[in-house]
Amino acid sequence: MITRRRKSSLQRTQQRMAVLFIVPALAVYALFVLYPLLMSLWGSFFVWRGLRMLEFTGLSNFTRLFVFPSGGRLYGALWHNVAWFFGIMLFQNGLGLLLAWLLFLRAKGAAFFQSVFFFPAVLSPVIVGALWRLLLAPGGTIEWMLNGLGLHQGSLTVLGNSHTALVMLIAVDAWNWMGLPVLIYTAGLRQISSQIFEAARLDGAGSGRMLVSIALPLLMPAVGTLTTLSFINTFNQFDIVYVMQGVQGNPSYSTDTLVTYFYRLAFGAEGAVGITDIGLALALGTLLFLILSIGTLLMLRFFDRRAVQL
Amino acid sequence: MLAIPQQLARLPGWTALVLWTAAVLLPLYILVVSCFKTTAEIYDNRLGLPQSFAFDNFVAAWTRADLGQNFINSLIVTAGAVILTIIVSAMAAYPLSRYRLGWNGIMLGLFLSGIMLPIRLASVELFTLMRNLGLLDSLTGLILVYSAIRIPFAVFIFANFMRVLPSELDEAARMDGAGEARILFQIVLPMVKPAISIVAIFTAIAVWNDFFFPLIFIFDDRYKTVPLAISVFVGQFRTDWGLVFASLAISMAPILIMYCLLARQIREGVGSGGGAK
Repeated sequence: MITRRRKSSLQRTQQRMAVLFIVPALAVYALFVLYPLLMSLWGSFFVWRGLRMLEFTGLSNFTRLFVFPSGGRLYGALWHNVAWFFGIMLFQNGLGLLLAWLLFLRAKGAAFFQSVFFFPAVLSPVIVGALWRLLLAPGGTIEWMLNGLGLHQGSLTVLGNSHTALVMLIAVDAWNWMGLPVLIYTAGLRQISSQIFEAARLDGAGSGRMLVSIALPLLMPAVGTLTTLSFINTFNQFDIVYVMQGVQGNPSYSTDTLVTYFYRLAFGAEGAVGITDIGLALALGTLLFLILSIGTLLMLRFFDRRAVQL
Repeated sequence: MLAIPQQLARLPGWTALVLWTAAVLLPLYILVVSCFKTTAEIYDNRLGLPQSFAFDNFVAAWTRADLGQNFINSLIVTAGAVILTIIVSAMAAYPLSRYRLGWNGIMLGLFLSGIMLPIRLASVELFTLMRNLGLLDSLTGLILVYSAIRIPFAVFIFANFMRVLPSELDEAARMDGAGEARILFQIVLPMVKPAISIVAIFTAIAVWNDFFFPLIFIFDDRYKTVPLAISVFVGQFRTDWGLVFASLAISMAPILIMYCLLARQIREGVGSGGGAK
């Protein structure tokens, strides 16, 4: 009797304390994350004048997004994000797997190489972008090196050329984050039982064969994590473009992304006059939210099903 | 006899590793040596060591470009966000992981959903909210926004660490008459120091490096943070390369120091679950 009363009084204390303990975190999180996000989704169905929300308009912001004159910008930016994603998958996550495998095969020095490879990832994309902008500029050090090696002549204009600028930005982003796949893949490889590799070696499999037919299938959870992270980061890409090519995605919008386009619509840097179009910005935000959530869910399911159990 | 071909077979692999190491370290080396050179010297002597290790560029960046003020702002914002995030997240994670409330799962799910949310897309409504609260051009405003963004990850980490502590721990303290707040701050929290360091490291990196929110919320030069100031320098001091390189070096110094001290924890933290970004 007494113990039960004590228990229920403890329960009541705990309920009260729990609310007290949770409220500060919940209040900050709800006010500065959940509330603005929900309001943004809701607001994309309304007409806006400046920062004032007027009447409900259904899907008209969305239809405006896909037709002239915004349609061209939207498809351009979307294509750049898609190209960015595949570039990162190939160059960052593909090369990262190779480097991780090489480190896994070597007993010595792995920690040192991992630390070096990951170092750029703790730097701000602003610093990384600014550094590479200086190095790649006409008259910069890369130009000097290429000229010296006889690989290139004259002024280096890769960032000013609409055919090469996007590729350069993707490469800088990959340089920035190469350490991430290296760390995640090496951690994954170390969880695989060494007996599996030993058995394959006895069967005469070379190290390339072991990587493709044995390690890769067993690394599917890591591949899934990296693909999803790369997808989310790519479709949020803003900093590197802003610092290296300006908010317009120069030259002539060839490095424009969905978030730089969103920023221009929301904060007034689109077009020569620089007026904001909040309705269009929120519709773009909602579209991007849908792309990100549906894409992430599909990827998590896809890789969940492909995870090999041993 | 057998050892030689084996060493040879490993050569391409070593070459690849060394090449990428060079690709990472060479730009950083150029950054460091250029800090001590004048613009003319940067053009004349690209890769060599500077003629003298003069600190002129650093002084110019710190005072003339006013990076000193930006640096202090960034320190305040980072420290504030790290402390606030740790305190409120640990408080929320404690009952959610150790009490039987009946609604632990739902509340934890609500927090965790925030790990993936693309908060940048909410920046229009967030801007209106900040303006109405008088938090534009305010370091407090940045601290609150960063804490809000980092709370989901922090609650997740703290809850994971607190869940596995033995239940006798708080029961014994309760028997001795300790209050719940004291159990959390004097008994549970000291037991989850690894969680505190993971949250502190990754929150500090994310906040120190962020550029997007100062760009939107800060207009007054007095409140600009380092990344925002750098993004302006790159265009503004385009001809004064030494100064730009020096300001880049200053802005990455705290992260570099932290990285050298904590490289192992960072490697393990990322490898075990990808805490970065």
